[in-house]
Amino acid sequence: MSVRTVARKDLADAGRSKALWAVSLAVVLFTAGITAAAATTVDEPASVLFGQVFQITVVALPIIALFVAKGAITGERESGSLRVLLSLPPSRRDILFGKLIGRTALMLVATVIGAVATGVVIVTLLGDGLALLVPFMFFLGLMGMAFVGIGVGISAVSASDGRATALTVGAYLVLVALWNLILRVIQAGAVEFGLVESGSQPAWLQFIGIFPPSRAASTAFQTVASGGQIFAADPFASVWFPTLILLVWIVVPVLGGYLRFRSADIS
Amino acid sequence: MTEPAIDTEGLTKRFGGVKAVDGLDLTVESGEIFGFLGPNGAGKSTTINMLLDFVSPTAGTASMLGLDVSAERKQLHRRIGVVPENYGLYERLSGRRHVELAVEFKNTDDNPDELLERVGLSPDDAGRPAGEYSTGMSQRLALAVALVGSPELLILDEPTSGLDPNGARELRELIQAENERGAAVFFSSHILEQVEAVADRIGIIDDGRFVATDSIEQLREGLDGGARVTLQVGREPEAQLGDLPNVRDIEVTDGAVCGTCLEPDAKLTFIDRVRETTTVTDVRIEESSLEDMFASYTTDTENDEHTEAAVIGGAEA
Repeated sequence: MSVRTVARKDLADAGRSKALWAVSLAVVLFTAGITAAAATTVDEPASVLFGQVFQITVVALPIIALFVAKGAITGERESGSLRVLLSLPPSRRDILFGKLIGRTALMLVATVIGAVATGVVIVTLLGDGLALLVPFMFFLGLMGMAFVGIGVGISAVSASDGRATALTVGAYLVLVALWNLILRVIQAGAVEFGLVESGSQPAWLQFIGIFPPSRAASTAFQTVASGGQIFAADPFASVWFPTLILLVWIVVPVLGGYLRFRSADIS
Repeated sequence: MTEPAIDTEGLTKRFGGVKAVDGLDLTVESGEIFGFLGPNGAGKSTTINMLLDFVSPTAGTASMLGLDVSAERKQLHRRIGVVPENYGLYERLSGRRHVELAVEFKNTDDNPDELLERVGLSPDDAGRPAGEYSTGMSQRLALAVALVGSPELLILDEPTSGLDPNGARELRELIQAENERGAAVFFSSHILEQVEAVADRIGIIDDGRFVATDSIEQLREGLDGGARVTLQVGREPEAQLGDLPNVRDIEVTDGAVCGTCLEPDAKLTFIDRVRETTTVTDVRIEESSLEDMFASYTTDTENDEHTEAAVIGGAEA
């Protein structure tokens, strides 16, 4: 009851934010625009094109998701409206999960619109690829949820909006921008210390490779696009494993944020 | 027997090594208007934050309406109305929407428009986004939100800040009306006259501890304040004034003689005595004010480092 009211209020409030509408519009224009440019200049089949667009989108979308989510709690904390809300019956859990639902809904709407626009561009320009639109939307949606969850989790543990912004930027840098570098350093280190042979890819290294939500989503989508199975013998070649990683990302950061927020002093 | 509106035992909050609230025992009876008075930084807000479960106590217990403030907070918060300190509004939502949300959260059937009218917000204003409100209007809206669900206990943290004198008077009337309906009211202030005007009982807190809890009359009686009599004189008295019954702190300064008279007739004795030695050109009498009382409770208690604690008389309103 309270969770739903918080979520609806958050949607109504955030829905009136011009910044968020600008962001959503940017997502749509960005994905559809890139796709149109790629579709007209590169001579590739739809499945490859979808894959390329996905690769680009998983870099851009997390920024937007984190931006949408990071002020969920800190914004209310700084304005003082959290004190009003907490004076009323909703508990901290109601507020946190209501906010999560509101922001996730907002992100999903933006993602679906963006994905549909992309799909329309690909299908009209290439006359093919409609079947991939659903997995395209599905995995982008899951990844968006994961980053909204990370953002809301960060918001819940941050005492100020500035701190939430800093942590958000850090999370983006580590999980998206620098992960390739981090992965290479780990790989080189492992070779140096004789843990793995040069060129080999043990499971734990593969796991680190697909650990961030954006990479897990990419892997899952590429597996689907290249006709891979949901449950193959090799978890890294099947869809379920990266999907599971995404689900863990959707649940764990928010839960961690809740545990901190539950006992935080609101003063 | 009715449960007390507020009941705390040994309520304590330590921030790091600093005790913000130190073993507070507070009982507010149901149907009572209780003024929670103290200088800024005395521990008022921390106490209220603990009552509202914003901050968890280091030690001690607190319950309101017989419900634990933390374990039974949801049930409790349906039955209380709060104007918290430093509250904020949703800038993009209208005033009416704020009240509607509170109605929804509390699961009541109040009419938002009636509540808004009661606190003096016009239907036009109620339709505007709260981001456009002045401080006074925000305060009125916060009150309307607090009144949703006819709460059994109203907690108002510094409710007069931001209100003009007219608004402060309306607030007093509203508090009285709510009290007549049967609600207990607990409100904090650092301004004595506002507490004095409505409270049945006041508690003065300083340094995280109650230094006095009683009715205004009792508190005043507890102090031998007396009246300060200042006499303008033509020249300094030629003779020693000597000991006078019920007159203390006699001071002779340039062109004036002052004394604190503890009994009404001591004033006359004092004036007569001075006139025997010099000519009196003017007389000024200051009855001991509530401000003096407040100051004496919050500064004389133990140490001198709180001299700035004498925040009184509406200077900051």
